[in-house]
Amino acid sequence: MIIGKLVSKRILIIHFQIIKFSNFQIISYLRGNYYIILISKEKEFAQLIKDNQGLIIKVSRLYTNSLEDEEDLFQEIVLQLWRSYDSFKGNSKISTWMYRVALNTAITLFRKKSKSLPTNELDINHRDFIEDDDDKQQQISLLYTVIKTLPNVERAIVMMYLDDLPYKDIAENLGITEVNARVKMNRLKKVLKEKMEKHA
Amino acid sequence: MPEFDLDSFKKTWQEQPVEPKYDNAEILQMLNKKSRNYVKYIFWISVIEFVLFTAFGLFYILQNKESNTFLTSLQKLGVEKNEQMQDILDNIYLIIKIFTLLITGYFVIKFYKNYRKIKVEEDLKEFISRIIKFKKTVNAFILINILIVVVFTSALTIFGIYAIQKQNTELASSSIVAFIISFIISTVLCIVLIWAYYRLVYGILIKRLDKNLTQLKEIDAQEK
Repeated sequence: MIIGKLVSKRILIIHFQIIKFSNFQIISYLRGNYYIILISKEKEFAQLIKDNQGLIIKVSRLYTNSLEDEEDLFQEIVLQLWRSYDSFKGNSKISTWMYRVALNTAITLFRKKSKSLPTNELDINHRDFIEDDDDKQQQISLLYTVIKTLPNVERAIVMMYLDDLPYKDIAENLGITEVNARVKMNRLKKVLKEKMEKHA
Repeated sequence: MPEFDLDSFKKTWQEQPVEPKYDNAEILQMLNKKSRNYVKYIFWISVIEFVLFTAFGLFYILQNKESNTFLTSLQKLGVEKNEQMQDILDNIYLIIKIFTLLITGYFVIKFYKNYRKIKVEEDLKEFISRIIKFKKTVNAFILINILIVVVFTSALTIFGIYAIQKQNTELASSSIVAFIISFIISTVLCIVLIWAYYRLVYGILIKRLDKNLTQLKEIDAQEK
């Protein structure tokens, strides 16, 4: 239960932060525009996932080879995030928590249904952007395909790097040292460059 | 394609149109879906192993008929049953019973504690290490059970030989040999079966985890 200032029907100000919610319930009126508000934990969580689902979709796409597995992995990550939601609250940054749970689930927890394809199979990911013939999209599609040829841990490093996470965070999410994360990434850049140019 | 540079690609990557696929209602529905979780499988397999080995151990050790059966087989070899023998045998059983119960108790606590320590929000290395550590607890339990069977069987064999010698029972050497060989064969068979199971299940379950852990360790061991 919290106290918030109601700006419009769906916009709240809580602790000086503007929050868009469709999931709060007004318990009682205080004064001014201030109300006592109940935000359901499930709904709060669903909103958080909805706002950050890009990260989960990217991880799901990078670690599966079929649409069915991709959707299942997305669900599994959401489930694991939900289970660790209480321990996350207030303890770490949203991105750190989401990356860790998503990567741990994709790399360690998830049991795929379809057999994984050999790592040099390069046509596996073109379905992702099949309808979009835009040049950029094709490049992204190729990049996905090439990243997928890398071992699990290296995929994670490249993804976090592309998402602009500092090396410190990349290292901490994987449990390696920052220096080694940096060295590894520099090597991976060369590997990816070769692969991209080979398959362009 | 122009020369590829990953850094200039960052922006494209970050701006890729990952269309929101799911709305709030769909996300809420996911919370009720069944998990396809690898650790859950490891957990349940471990629980089954644990229950089976505890049941096996307790059944073998706790049944009282066992000492009588053993004495009967010694009698068949010509050894006379007497109170002193019964006492020694009862003591061997009592020590093994207490020992088994203590060990099982210790492992139940350790099993639970190590399972609780597996937290999905830990870093990858720590996460994998904790799962492996959890599985190792169960493996240690299985190995100790094997050891108990060996110790128990050896104690009985030594006791049998001691009884035979003490009573100066005249035995055909073939009987002694058969007596010892039957013990050895049953023990070895038991160990081989458990060991094969251990290698198979442990191998399958841990292989994938080990592969990822090796990747992490390799990165951390690279030249700077």
